[in-house]
Amino acid sequence: MNKPAGLTKLFSISAVVLLLFLLPLIIGSQYIMYVLIWLGISIALTSSLRVISLSGLLSIGHGGLMLIGAYTSALLVMKVGLSSWFALILGGVAAGGFTCLIGFPFVRLKGMYFSMVTMFMTEVILMVSEQWKSLTGGSAGIMNIPRPDPIKIAGIIDIDFKSYTDLYYLILILVIVSLIVFYLIEHSRIGRSWQAISRDDLLAESVGINVAAYKVLGFTIGSFFAGVLGAFYSQFYNVITPSEFGFFFSIYILVYMIVGGRRSFIGPVIGCILLLLIPELIGGLGGYRPFIFVAILMAVLYTLPDGMASLPTRLKYTDLGQWFIERFAHA
Amino acid sequence: MLEIKGLTKNFGGLCAVNNFDMTVEKGEFVGLIGPNGAGKSTVFNLVTGFIKPSKGKIIFEDHDITGKSPHAIAKYGIVRTFQANRIFADFTVLQDVWAACHLTNKTGLWEGIFRTSGARKKEQYTLEHAQEILKFTNLESMSQTFAQNLPHGYKRILGIAIALAAQPKLLILDEPLSGMNSEEVAEASNLISRIWKGKTTILLIEHNMRAAMSLCKRLVVINFGEKMAEGLPDEIVRNQEVIKAYLGVNINLA
Repeated sequence: MNKPAGLTKLFSISAVVLLLFLLPLIIGSQYIMYVLIWLGISIALTSSLRVISLSGLLSIGHGGLMLIGAYTSALLVMKVGLSSWFALILGGVAAGGFTCLIGFPFVRLKGMYFSMVTMFMTEVILMVSEQWKSLTGGSAGIMNIPRPDPIKIAGIIDIDFKSYTDLYYLILILVIVSLIVFYLIEHSRIGRSWQAISRDDLLAESVGINVAAYKVLGFTIGSFFAGVLGAFYSQFYNVITPSEFGFFFSIYILVYMIVGGRRSFIGPVIGCILLLLIPELIGGLGGYRPFIFVAILMAVLYTLPDGMASLPTRLKYTDLGQWFIERFAHA
Repeated sequence: MLEIKGLTKNFGGLCAVNNFDMTVEKGEFVGLIGPNGAGKSTVFNLVTGFIKPSKGKIIFEDHDITGKSPHAIAKYGIVRTFQANRIFADFTVLQDVWAACHLTNKTGLWEGIFRTSGARKKEQYTLEHAQEILKFTNLESMSQTFAQNLPHGYKRILGIAIALAAQPKLLILDEPLSGMNSEEVAEASNLISRIWKGKTTILLIEHNMRAAMSLCKRLVVINFGEKMAEGLPDEIVRNQEVIKAYLGVNINLA
């Protein structure tokens, strides 16, 4: 990347971030704030799933990992009385630690078999949380989980997280931090090794990459962020019920990633906006939503196997795209 | 440098390698030859840890590496190439070699996330290292080509470049010249002998006998999983047993 292009990129990203910070001043509606919080959770969650997928692992277990984070945080806040901020991190540590422990036998499986095992992992987590009533409250779940602890600095800052606007700022910061971390890891030696593994694991092993350990590392990092987001979810929604994080929850996250484009860093962002924000804002789809969802999924997979993020490159090589480039780019 | 003692591998009832002994000294250029199905590739897979031996010992520079995993063996300095064209597809040639520089770059997770100056220096160093390897293997002009778009001969050379990126002390080449035309064979042979002159010990399997004879300084012949003969190329071509194994007995064309 040459310097001016890098600067333009940096400038436009800062402009978008600034706009997102100013958004609550323009939009007063708490409903839209609520939708945007969901969007933020989904974007970070889908991106963390993409971190796992970099080494070639397609996990259908993100819902279960998020549930682990949500329960850990809720129980630490409510039963132990820990600060919600520590609980947020510890939710991630619990989910990440869980996959770090179970990861090694899992990553011996490849392709679809890994996906199947993660799917059953979610089912087991759900079953345990439905049956272990004394700890998790059974299928009714946990209610009245407190909002994040207020941040108070006398006279200057006073955020009590009562409104959705405050929570919007919190998730915005979480999304930005996690995306920066994901970007930096992906463009470091570790990210390169993950991509090498996903392309040819035997060759990667032969040049000294510890394939199993690197896969588990990716799985753990992705799960850590799923856990943090689960913890945030519990503090934002105030209620957790296991059934919400079932099979379809994980499938939806996977579909966001695939429709957006798993090869591209902004793929998950595009996928979430397309499949979550647009149907929500159009509204009134009611029970037909799954149909619209599947229609978009099939249309994208059929026309753009690499997801929506590959659309610009695809268009560039059509006749119309070439015509536009000749007409406008050379002017 | 490398010492193989009594190596045995059974696949079910089939004995692929039986009580095989072999040594490779530092700085040697040894060829392992034998008819199809003789167990050459199995020996390579056993030495590099891709399959675990049933019996026997493999010692590399005083370390017992028997049964260790491939990535650990690569860390000791034994790196292999593959018979099939194994490359990182969807990567450019430069990215392929850069990704293979895993062992020369020790950037940790936290260094990578916080982009410390040390991490950036190491990244820069590995990138330069990768470019040097491309220059050495004459792939420099193709560094931005996608690896899967390379012609067959260059794919095989890229396979060697990827192995070189792991900085081998002992480089194990599994039929590096297979499927090449005579020009490509000449170029690849030249590269292999330059690698050897650069103080890398080489162990090689090859079916192209002419190239194997001219490259290798010592040959080991394996047949039915057992060592049959060992010696200088000139001795091997005159060895009656070897001729029998390759051509069969009692040929009577009349």
